[in-house]
Amino acid sequence: MGPGIITGFAGNDAGGVTTYTAVGAHYGFALLWLLLLSTAGLLVIQEMCARMGAVTGKGLSDLIRERFGVRWTIVAMIALLIANGSNVAAEFAGVAASLELLGVERIVSVPAAALVIWALIVFFSYRVVERALFVLVLAFVAYPISAVIVHPDWDSVVRGLAIPTLSTQQAALIAALALVGTTITPYMQFYIQASIVDKGIDREQYRFARVDVYLGAILTGLNGFFIIVAAGAVLFPAHVIVGSASDAAQALGPLAGEQAKLLFGVGLLGASLLAALVMPLSTSYAICEAFGWESGISRNFREAPVFMGLFTFLIAIGALVVLSPNVPLIPLILVSQNVNGLLLPIVLIFILLLAGDRTVMGDQANGRVSQVVGIGTALMASALSIGLVAVTVFGL
Amino acid sequence: MPYLSEIQNRRVIEPNGNVVGRLTDVAVVPQGQFPAAQWAILATPGGEKVVRWADLAQEIGHLRLRSRLEATPPAQLPPDALRLARDLLDKQIVDTHGAKVVRVNDLQLSEVDGQLRLVGADVGLRGLLRRVGAEGVAERIAGVAGRRLPRGIIPWHLVEPLQAKEPEAPKTAAVRLTIPHQKLALLHPADIADVVEEMTADERVAVFQQLDLETAADALQEVEPEMQAAIVSDLPEERAADILEEMDPDEAADLLQDLPEDRREELVDLMEKEEASDVEELLTYPEDSAGGIMTTDFVALPGEQTAAQSIDQLREKKPDPELTYYLYVVDAQGKLEGVLSLRDLVVAPPETKVTAIMDPRVLKIPAETPKEEVASLIAKYDLLALPVIDARGRLLGTVTVDDVVELILPRGWKKRSLRSIAR
Repeated sequence: MGPGIITGFAGNDAGGVTTYTAVGAHYGFALLWLLLLSTAGLLVIQEMCARMGAVTGKGLSDLIRERFGVRWTIVAMIALLIANGSNVAAEFAGVAASLELLGVERIVSVPAAALVIWALIVFFSYRVVERALFVLVLAFVAYPISAVIVHPDWDSVVRGLAIPTLSTQQAALIAALALVGTTITPYMQFYIQASIVDKGIDREQYRFARVDVYLGAILTGLNGFFIIVAAGAVLFPAHVIVGSASDAAQALGPLAGEQAKLLFGVGLLGASLLAALVMPLSTSYAICEAFGWESGISRNFREAPVFMGLFTFLIAIGALVVLSPNVPLIPLILVSQNVNGLLLPIVLIFILLLAGDRTVMGDQANGRVSQVVGIGTALMASALSIGLVAVTVFGL
Repeated sequence: MPYLSEIQNRRVIEPNGNVVGRLTDVAVVPQGQFPAAQWAILATPGGEKVVRWADLAQEIGHLRLRSRLEATPPAQLPPDALRLARDLLDKQIVDTHGAKVVRVNDLQLSEVDGQLRLVGADVGLRGLLRRVGAEGVAERIAGVAGRRLPRGIIPWHLVEPLQAKEPEAPKTAAVRLTIPHQKLALLHPADIADVVEEMTADERVAVFQQLDLETAADALQEVEPEMQAAIVSDLPEERAADILEEMDPDEAADLLQDLPEDRREELVDLMEKEEASDVEELLTYPEDSAGGIMTTDFVALPGEQTAAQSIDQLREKKPDPELTYYLYVVDAQGKLEGVLSLRDLVVAPPETKVTAIMDPRVLKIPAETPKEEVASLIAKYDLLALPVIDARGRLLGTVTVDDVVELILPRGWKKRSLRSIAR
């Protein structure tokens, strides 16, 4: 598997599954057009970041620091830290929700998961565990099967994809921004570029890597599509408001029947743990890279205090948010994806300025099509963000 | 001493005070140890202008052109010129193997022989804070907490801009810096320590593998105590033991004290007998007592010996210069009887017994004395060293002024003065 497909998988986390399920359950197929646009945006932006990694051999935070200096780097890194911090909280919410389905209280599951993840990173190689968790995530193959055997009304699916409709109610805007935010997370852009650099992919090899990057983005889109279709066909007609993991699990009912909860629980657990493992680490790498602080999991706290401190902080804060009394898990996950959506335009502007800059990219700078699609995506996310903030603050 | 971030964006005015633009960048040709600032890049309403640095005068708060902008000859940057802000600032300094080390947070400039020169790369937290205008505030906060912000400046002559490997790659992305190990060995050990403290763990170990033993030992003594232990833990045991042997016994003992017990024993076992026994003896005293900081290297003259015999003894042993400030006289049991100076010994008739020329009123301290008390005694009586004795009055070692200099001087002073002397 190449970096593109792995990144596509990583998008399939607690935030993704929950958001797509909620969108399908509450709005049927009506927001599929937005998923289509987001996937197109994701495809173009992931390609930009992968190309930047191949051409410059540097990570995204590296380039931001070298091109825009200290102050703008601080802005970008704070945005990344907040977005990823909220994602980590969402992953722990996913852990809590999935294990509650299987009968484990969150007061047990969340601290245990946090400790295990921290210990894995500090004392062992998390790579081995990464593979095992990938296998659990395969449980989500159940979605395309569910989506097909439930015989949805394919005409309305196509209509949902082709005709843009959007209510201006707060709840609808929250769902829409969460959909964009979970499909194109700021996190994925840093991750894909770092993976390309890590693998040492250069200009020559990039021609092949590009296919993998496109496949990864399409995978993310298809995954969202089938979850929304399954939820839209099963939950929407029954007017289910997704308030818990067991509500969400019903979307797999047509395939798994009584075992739906188990199937959903296993998939969600694998996806949440996987992301909770990778997300704090890659955030720490990106931030330390930007400021020239020592990083690497083979270091100890004395050698790399900021690096070790940062991911420990992220894991701790994520777990604590979920453990605070009376936090509803599903709304917490949806809000976290809104945070991603709100911060996405900031990260996109940096990406577009860098990928379009000939002094950075030489003859590999963005062409007109990439630049227009990228700007369009940034405008779409900004418009939804501004719309949501306006509706929330002014109660329009 | 200005930093690039402090002069960047300064207003540039004509002789009559008319503002013509801002200073955006300074260009140098990277040759020689400390390249001189040769060109200034100005942002003017008419676009970017390059002028010779010599056509500008630095004044408080702004730069003044020596003649009007139209009358100043425009300059051309040669292809090998480096623009400090564009090409160096915010870039990574990598080691010779291409692994990343640190980032250039600021560039230090200094007036040398009437020319502004690039003298160092600031890779520390201070540089980062200065760039966002928060150095002063952070310094005050750290001061309240009783700490100092760490400095991290790599002298420029240790840094080499690397040329781009791929010619088609854009130039700005290709400038990288390196610290070659051979150059490192030419430095004063205290400066090697400063540079090493800024490196990654792997790089540090590589440096201490390659330096010759004596330089490695001297440099290791200058490294921060916590980092010393980390370096010694990461080195192969044989090499670590060899370096420890070369260190002053008191410094080696302090370092070993910070290691886990089994590792400490391993290393002491690997050391030569003589050095090992000195160190082991020192290890029995608490770290912050006179016994913990003293050195067991000293010159002890038997009391019945004559002045001539004593001079022969010195000629044979060739003690380090700092050990000859005071010569101690001991009896057959090793009990401290008195002290004399090298001068006393040389001017005395050759056949005189040393007991006749020594001063028996010698100030001495028991090994358990707290080190703060030792420091204040040394400061009060203007001594260069103090003898340390055991309960029976036998001479164990000496505490020299450099063992307690940190306790006498204001915090951080030693470090800074060493940097400025070495430069």
